[in-house]
Amino acid sequence: MRTFILRRLIYAIPTLVGISIITFVIVRLAPGDPIRLFTFGSRATSEDIEALRHLYGLDKPLPLQYVDWLMNILRLDFGQSFIYHQPAAALFLDYVWNTLQLALVALALQLLIGVPLGVIAALKRGTWIDSVIRVLSVAGHAVPTFWLGLVLIIFFAVQLRWLPTGGITTVGKDQWDILDRLRHMLLPAIVLSLTGIALYSRILRTETLDVLGQDYVRTAHAKGLRERTVMFVHALRNALIPVVTALGGILAGLVGGALVVETVFSWPGLGRFTFAAAIAKDYPVIQAGVMISSLLLVISYIIRDIVYAVVDPRISVR
Amino acid sequence: MATTTTAIKATTATDVLVRPSRSLWSNAWWKLRHDRLTLAAFVVLCLLALLAAAADLLADNVFQYSFAKQDLLHTYEKPALDPIAYLLGTDEIGRSQVVRLLYGGRVSLAVGFVAALVNLTIGVVLGLSAGYFRGVVDDLFTWFVTTLQSIPTLFLLLIIGAIWEPGPVQLTIIIGALFWTGISLYCRGQTFSLREREFVIAARTIGARDRRIMFNHILPNILPLIFVLAAIDVGGIILAESALSFLGLGILPPTPSWGNMLTGATNYFVRAPWLVYPPGAMIFLTVLCLYLIGDGLRDALDPRVKGREG
Amino acid sequence: MSHPRTGRALIAALAASTLVATACAGGTPSASSGPGASASASAAASEKPQQGGRIIEGTISDIATMQPVLVNDTASGRITGLLYDTLIQQDPKSGEVKPRMASYTTSQDGLTYTFTINDKANWSDGKPITGQDWLTAVTAVAKSAKTVRKSNFQDVQGFNDFKDGKATTISGISIDSSNPKKFSVKMTKVSCPAILDLAGAVGSPLPTQVFGKYLTATSKPEDFDNAPENTNPQVVSGPFLFKEWRKSDQVILGKNDKYWQGAPNVDEYVYKVVANQTAITNGLKTGELTFGSIQAKDLADMQTVDSVKITKYQNLGYTFIGWNTLSPTAVGLADKRVRQALAYGIDMDAVIKAVVFGEATKQVAHHVPVQWAYPSTPLEQYKYDKAKAEQLLKDAGWVKGSDGILAKDGKKFNLTISTNSGNTERETLAQVAADQYKQLGINAVAKPEAFQGLVTKLTTGDQTLEATIIGWSLGGDPDPYQIWHSSQIPNPAKNVTGFGFTGFKDAAMDKAIEDGRNPANGDCSTAARKKSYETFNKILNENQPYNFGYANNVLAVSQKSLQSFAPGSFSTTYNVYEWWIKK
Repeated sequence: MRTFILRRLIYAIPTLVGISIITFVIVRLAPGDPIRLFTFGSRATSEDIEALRHLYGLDKPLPLQYVDWLMNILRLDFGQSFIYHQPAAALFLDYVWNTLQLALVALALQLLIGVPLGVIAALKRGTWIDSVIRVLSVAGHAVPTFWLGLVLIIFFAVQLRWLPTGGITTVGKDQWDILDRLRHMLLPAIVLSLTGIALYSRILRTETLDVLGQDYVRTAHAKGLRERTVMFVHALRNALIPVVTALGGILAGLVGGALVVETVFSWPGLGRFTFAAAIAKDYPVIQAGVMISSLLLVISYIIRDIVYAVVDPRISVR
Repeated sequence: MATTTTAIKATTATDVLVRPSRSLWSNAWWKLRHDRLTLAAFVVLCLLALLAAAADLLADNVFQYSFAKQDLLHTYEKPALDPIAYLLGTDEIGRSQVVRLLYGGRVSLAVGFVAALVNLTIGVVLGLSAGYFRGVVDDLFTWFVTTLQSIPTLFLLLIIGAIWEPGPVQLTIIIGALFWTGISLYCRGQTFSLREREFVIAARTIGARDRRIMFNHILPNILPLIFVLAAIDVGGIILAESALSFLGLGILPPTPSWGNMLTGATNYFVRAPWLVYPPGAMIFLTVLCLYLIGDGLRDALDPRVKGREG
Repeated sequence: MSHPRTGRALIAALAASTLVATACAGGTPSASSGPGASASASAAASEKPQQGGRIIEGTISDIATMQPVLVNDTASGRITGLLYDTLIQQDPKSGEVKPRMASYTTSQDGLTYTFTINDKANWSDGKPITGQDWLTAVTAVAKSAKTVRKSNFQDVQGFNDFKDGKATTISGISIDSSNPKKFSVKMTKVSCPAILDLAGAVGSPLPTQVFGKYLTATSKPEDFDNAPENTNPQVVSGPFLFKEWRKSDQVILGKNDKYWQGAPNVDEYVYKVVANQTAITNGLKTGELTFGSIQAKDLADMQTVDSVKITKYQNLGYTFIGWNTLSPTAVGLADKRVRQALAYGIDMDAVIKAVVFGEATKQVAHHVPVQWAYPSTPLEQYKYDKAKAEQLLKDAGWVKGSDGILAKDGKKFNLTISTNSGNTERETLAQVAADQYKQLGINAVAKPEAFQGLVTKLTTGDQTLEATIIGWSLGGDPDPYQIWHSSQIPNPAKNVTGFGFTGFKDAAMDKAIEDGRNPANGDCSTAARKKSYETFNKILNENQPYNFGYANNVLAVSQKSLQSFAPGSFSTTYNVYEWWIKK
């Protein structure tokens, strides 16, 4: 197992290098001048602007800037934010934690709701329950997340006033007030989890149907085991494999979708912060944001592969 | 030799049941014709496309309002029948929602289909090449695709949108350049298996050029499922474009897009909630139809799913 | 106080303050007649202020820093202003410069200022505020690599040499040896706006006991720029102390018991980040926010809310349409008659009614009514007159073609009106202007574009811009040098940037600006400068390089429980230590 993990980690390196190149290219090759943008309206003279440009190394040729940046990243130095005048990486700590909270809760919801829905649909195949769940699962993919967020806010926050309209804390409440945090997290987590719930219910339905028809299940039935035992012990374990496989796409969706959800609900997360930095052309922060998001995803893929290897006895770990 | 054939026919008719052979396509067509859900989705989609195409006609003759026409004295009007242009109300500067909805469909559908086409082209070419040539080409391809898949796609698109501030054409190209990985992986996989088949080896033996083999021999075999992927792709692209427009990038007002009609929603959802429902509902409907069509096509083309033979 | 603007949360998030270009002479200087006499609500002065409670202000963008030297956005300016007091302040209603932490005298020749800091002025750690602390701030500006405020001190004798490393001290600044609270500053030339530059927000004294170690002779610029106390200030001079900064969520300040003008009555000041202007408006209605400003379109609704009080005052700034007089494509704009026609040809009163519900004053020149530099001599009001506009266009040689569009020498009169997308007010203005100009025969079209691109084009003098709708936020001093002097016209060929994107220049106007800024006779009195500005405004009024648009009203809303709240055009939080919450 250790060599497997090690190999996976080594394979991740060229990917990370590729990500760094893409990140750098999309940020630096864009038109526009960040220095001029954030000094607009102040009394900075042309000399001040050029001095700032030199300070941030923006006057060097691009390939050189890339190498400098890459070398720094290896030392975990993502540069200083143009706007906040603080190390870019340190800025992200708060935001990453906020996004992880949302993503993990959303993931939990996906598994707790999506998996049972799919199994139920398979067990009740052909009935109206099955049809409803199937339509809902396609619909879950098709609904635009930002719109759903708005509709939920209108209903639950504005008309019913049960939940806040956005943000992460209420004024006067402590940061560690869990109840307050859950109230703020409920709607965004639900919206974020929707695509995953839809996907998992479809996968589970297909897989459960497949598995229910397989021989060993019939054998187990013939042996006289209770249906529940049959289902849980044999069928579910095998159906779990595609769940883990789908995890990759799900995670990408969580981080990517988080940006939109964070914006609609004013959740101070990684996506929203990187987006704001992109608008303000805060290069170090944008680059750090894309790298950190991608890093999270790569790590999740590796974890998924490890879980996959453990769960599926057919895969040799050697 | 009429008697002989009739005799033979008579014998075969009593001996064994003979089914006329069905090709993949005719089988698929039969399945589709009987799949009511997919048909319904297809009809709805065509209707939407028709409405979008007829936007100019409708705007000029039925509603008598252009999509940019403002009326600052009649902002946030509730839906009404008179004038007909207020069918879905007016927005924050008095523009007719229903007219903008029609034009918005144009933009969303156009971007969706064109970008999907770009996706298709890139995905097919790269996937085929990687699967056919293997070796270094495949290694490079794998590296590139893995890298792209390791950056959350929607996130990347939105960040690029924020930094580059692309116009509609550039936007379509950028989307086209980001969403092709699924198609290319499928093509690659299929090409791997197909390239060892007899007809390919035969073609090579007679000296056919690689390009010819790829596009004239291999591609037609994998085309059916590519259409499925493309249909689902368009749905995803429309969702991505609307998210981008919602955030104020991509398609900018006064040109309406279903996404940018909701940009200011957080400002007026309290006083004019009727403005929030239609654009999102249209996106939902369109994408839903596309997904259902894609599903239906896949089921139709999948030999495992029972069709006429069953 | 955030200016009332419609806009999406995102662009607004980081560009809220720069949506309106700042041509400030100094941050947001506080103003009040000195300690003791209160200019605020006299009725409340008779009641004894209750202690406790919390002031909550909503903001669309988070702060970036709490270091006065590095402040570059409104949000940071607000919080920094609550933590660090300034030497002088401006009267909230008239803008008149008055003492705050220090009083000052000017020498006969106008070249030397002598400041005396109030005896009671102390840091929160008990140490007295001295001239050395002001010098620390100036040294920080000189040494910092990231500040954009160096030009504030460029006229101080010896500053440039010190900044460039050619000298170890600033020759023009001297601290009185017998009284550390007294110091003098010698300028190289008489500069009327200088006093606000020197002693306003950027010149807030910094605690030498904290920042001195980052500004020694051997220190590097990043020592100061990256100092942890820039985001975690522990020693302050203002009415509030720093408690906590929850990023993108809220900044929490606690009351400074040792504040030299007396401890504030409230316990906490919270700066809460909200999604957008609507959230602020809703927060004011529900009582979640203590004070804030709303947009004109929400005024009618807010007036029905019993729990709030609405205070109106004029915005220190205006929204306008800038004409590119050097445009190679919209050649008509070079002709004064055409620009005047464009002023007569738009019904600005109707626009004001439609866009800001009547809550604005039409502008025909640069200064706004609340400034002392506002012209007293009557100027051409350019009342809407379509016939006159058409006549002027005809006089300038523009004739309607068969397609109804004006043409001259075979060239059609095409006009693209650009503005930043996401700001409904400006987008509407662009659309309405285009519609009205179409009626004159001009092929006008509105074109919103993303803010950053527009900003870059404006300051670099991109000639693809023909007409641009944007706004200025004016500073404490009426000096219009940065916008209207010919030296500020950007030149793409020579890589010169600036705010004079109309390309309009006039020798007499330049002289008027220079006289008001650096008078030869050293007379910086309001009376003398006002004469120069009369000339200046008259030239602008006649030549119309902008259609000067309108100066909107700020609609300040506060909870009725908030007492002693008395905002003005020049300052809102000048007397925040006197505010109290009536339970």
